[in-house]
Amino acid sequence: MKMELQDLCMTYPGGKQALQHLNLSLESPSLIGLLGPNGAGKSTLMKLLTAALLPTGGSILADGQPLIKTERQLKSRLGYLPQDFGLFDELTAAQFLDYMAALKGLRSPGKAVREVLKAVSLEEKAKSKIRTLSGGQRQRVGIAQALLGEPSFLVFDEPTVGLDPEERIHFRSLFSRMAQDRLVLLSTHIIEDVQAVCGRLIVLNQGRVLFSGTPEELIQAAAGHVGAFWEKDAAWEQGLHITARVNTSHGVRCRAVADRLPAYAREEEPSLEDAYLYLISRGAAL
Amino acid sequence: MKTIRLFRLELRRLLQSRLTWLAAGLTALSPALGLSLYKTADASTMLSMYLANPAIAGGAAGGILFGLLTIFELDRASRSRVDVLLDAAVSPLCMALQRLMALFAGAFFTLGLTMLLWLPVSWRLIGAVFGAADYLLAYLLLMGLALPLGILSSAAAYQFTRRADLSLILFAAFAALSLTVWADNWQLCWLNPCVWALSDDFSNFRIFRSVAYMRLTWLAALFGIWILSWLCIRQYGKGILGSLRRSARRACRPAAALLLLAVSGTAYAAQPFVDRSNLDETAMSFYEMPYAEGIVCTGRSAWVFPDVKAGSLSGRAAYEFQNTSGQDWEAAFGVTPGYAITKVQVNGEKVPFSVSDYQEYNEAMLRVSIPAGEQVELTMEYAGFPKENRMMSTMQGRAEISGAYLCLENAALSPRLLNVLPDENGYPAAVEITLPASMLVIPFGSSDARVTVEHEDGTRTWRYEENGTGGILYAGDYVREEIEADGFTIEFYYGRRHQAVMEAAGAADAVKAVVEYCTEHYGRLSFGSGGKLKLIQSRVSGGGYATDGASLLDEADFTAANLSNTDKGAGAGEVMIHELVHQWWGLGNMFDVPEPDSPWSAEGLTVYTTYRIAKELYGEAYAQEHYVDQWQQAVDDYYLNFYVRNPEYLEMLPEEKQLEITGSLTYVRQYCEMPLKILKAEALAGGEEAMDQILKGLFNREIDPMNPYLTYQDFLDACGLTKEDLSLA
Repeated sequence: MKMELQDLCMTYPGGKQALQHLNLSLESPSLIGLLGPNGAGKSTLMKLLTAALLPTGGSILADGQPLIKTERQLKSRLGYLPQDFGLFDELTAAQFLDYMAALKGLRSPGKAVREVLKAVSLEEKAKSKIRTLSGGQRQRVGIAQALLGEPSFLVFDEPTVGLDPEERIHFRSLFSRMAQDRLVLLSTHIIEDVQAVCGRLIVLNQGRVLFSGTPEELIQAAAGHVGAFWEKDAAWEQGLHITARVNTSHGVRCRAVADRLPAYAREEEPSLEDAYLYLISRGAAL
Repeated sequence: MKTIRLFRLELRRLLQSRLTWLAAGLTALSPALGLSLYKTADASTMLSMYLANPAIAGGAAGGILFGLLTIFELDRASRSRVDVLLDAAVSPLCMALQRLMALFAGAFFTLGLTMLLWLPVSWRLIGAVFGAADYLLAYLLLMGLALPLGILSSAAAYQFTRRADLSLILFAAFAALSLTVWADNWQLCWLNPCVWALSDDFSNFRIFRSVAYMRLTWLAALFGIWILSWLCIRQYGKGILGSLRRSARRACRPAAALLLLAVSGTAYAAQPFVDRSNLDETAMSFYEMPYAEGIVCTGRSAWVFPDVKAGSLSGRAAYEFQNTSGQDWEAAFGVTPGYAITKVQVNGEKVPFSVSDYQEYNEAMLRVSIPAGEQVELTMEYAGFPKENRMMSTMQGRAEISGAYLCLENAALSPRLLNVLPDENGYPAAVEITLPASMLVIPFGSSDARVTVEHEDGTRTWRYEENGTGGILYAGDYVREEIEADGFTIEFYYGRRHQAVMEAAGAADAVKAVVEYCTEHYGRLSFGSGGKLKLIQSRVSGGGYATDGASLLDEADFTAANLSNTDKGAGAGEVMIHELVHQWWGLGNMFDVPEPDSPWSAEGLTVYTTYRIAKELYGEAYAQEHYVDQWQQAVDDYYLNFYVRNPEYLEMLPEEKQLEITGSLTYVRQYCEMPLKILKAEALAGGEEAMDQILKGLFNREIDPMNPYLTYQDFLDACGLTKEDLSLA
């Protein structure tokens, strides 16, 4: 599966430019993390990739064919978990998945439903009405429906919201396994999730691509730009972005990113989160 | 294959919703409204009361309930945000189609459930005249098709607006239009079809066809609108117009919508059931045509071939004229709208003709130019589906042509001559009609029809002769009984389906008793001819009429429910007597329309005469107990009635309640108070014999054609009494 974005633009009817001239190539097998602050254009990009929206400029090619012409084929190979979704409350989890399996045209929906229920650890809730499930369990049903039919292109928008830490770890490894032979696009605010499993990161801000590369490349790019200092020593120079403040017995210890670290700051080894925040604070591609 | 799977899936999901079952359950129960609250068919046949009304009520309620369910179901996906998952799997257009199909399936499942549920109830209520075909057609057409119309209209409203609240308002307004403003327009009342009566004893195909036509017209219109709304389903984040532009790229989609709308519009404009007769009831231009000078009609013939399956008719008519004017002239005929004149010849040569657009009293005018010539034979061929008078558009069904019944009146039988005088023999006419062997032909008049040819295809040709420009012919699956009474031969014709009811009510005995009693006490019916009278039970028509040698009995007067009405007689046989007495009091003598609170009507003398016959048949004690005591009890209660004593409170009630109470009080006044007054008049006038003489005098009085009604004052004058003399208070 290969998705190519060529000079992709999206402007909403109100005039808001959600995406501007994106050029990207997404190819399987890979697990791609999509990062960016709120309003960066991540959800718009996902909607465009799933044919829920049509671009106002540029094009998307799916395996070399314009997406709009191969929409039906794309949908048959697509697993999509949007950020804000609902379920039919009157159905059981298994019935809902069976329903979605049939919508996707699966030939043996029963087997597929059992497999995805197992994958999201919901076997014991298979016959429970969806209205009785907790928020995390509903989220897992959402993930399960995206996995139905072993789609070759998986798009997850904030999939681990509402899941406890143990479940998050479970799903991270699941996504990682999935990405061994598929194209998986994972949008999240939780840097930890992408750091652990994503082989490639795309950072969007204000509708533009700020970074596209491996997590290591992003971290490397932030080297020398992350420092720590005592708050009492700080002079609060311009261009210094505090990323963390920790109260200690000696006072408040600050962690910050900047193009040029001040002298009172001691350089630190950047984490992915530091690197991401550095990138966003710069507001321009590295 | 995938479509079928998706449909089954959507249906299964729909059936798992509690709201679906609530809508289905309420719909299945809603025919009960037709037995109590919502009774639009006001005829008193069993099928009107216990089949048409429940089915229409079920359709109205079901249409609304399924409309509401549709809005809820369509809104649910977006309300619960499950649509984002569904749209990622299949196109929202495909999903909307599946939902529509599932809702249709749910509606038809509900219809099936309703029919099963109500089958034993209807069967029990309707009794001997229950028919499976009537039941099936009534529920399919009067109820069933309302459900998809409700679904389509509400789905279209939602797909256009994408807002549940706005859709509810639009759907409610659309339904309300049908139930109010459009209720008397047979083509527009999509939810509550205009069905005033269903026949128990004969067929109902004409009215069923009319309802089916109305419903299919709406179905085409609403399907067209639904497709347009379907094309407006929001996709790709676009608005209504953007989505429409996108979805309409496949030209076949908008083309299908426009085609359906065009079909519907054409069907509406070119409906074949009702004519365009002048609504001015005083217009008499066809009857006031001047006669052609020097021309007489010396005879006419008609060969008529009804197609009982199609409900249509074809025929050939021939007219013989004698022209002494020596000039060309123009013959005018009344033609039933709906019939096409296909060929007109004079002495074997084609001649020009025209049929007017103007129509009056269910006739259009055919004009034929006839060249000068002393002996002229004019022949014409005509065929078509007869239209009914638009003034009676809410009471369709009279022009029934089926294998069980037909009534062809005047121009519906053959074109009616308008502007030529008869010769000294009148308009001698010979009519031949070919019908299925099961049908008995009954000319409405003194002539008799006889079979001339038995065809191999199971049809028979009947021939009869009469005299006149028009004529009425009844035919159907009739039972014929010949009853001798007081030197009079009564040919009594009633529908075979009604045989059990008629026999149980002792119809033949009742006819004999009534004819003997009334003839002896009041005199012979003026329309008896040559010692013979045909009593013909007609399909429900809202009344009867008589001519020389024949009189009509409306089937609504002989239903099992009516025959068990104890206000008219103590038993079915006596109610039968009551209805037959109306031949003397009601048809033989017409009554003026009384004041709203007057007890005077045909019912008073009819009930009184029924009592006298019962007294003669069963003795004084019986008549006292079952008639006089019953009247007295009802009248005593009447005078104690709160609203009778305090009429000012009646005016404060809602109009519907007022009508209900007024109707009930009117009933007591006419059926109980008046007979008691007549009984009192009898005592004051000198006894039964004196009253018989008075009534005989009234029955045989010279009637003023301009005011032929027997009034209460006539009665009082004949008795030599005043209103006050007959006060019961």
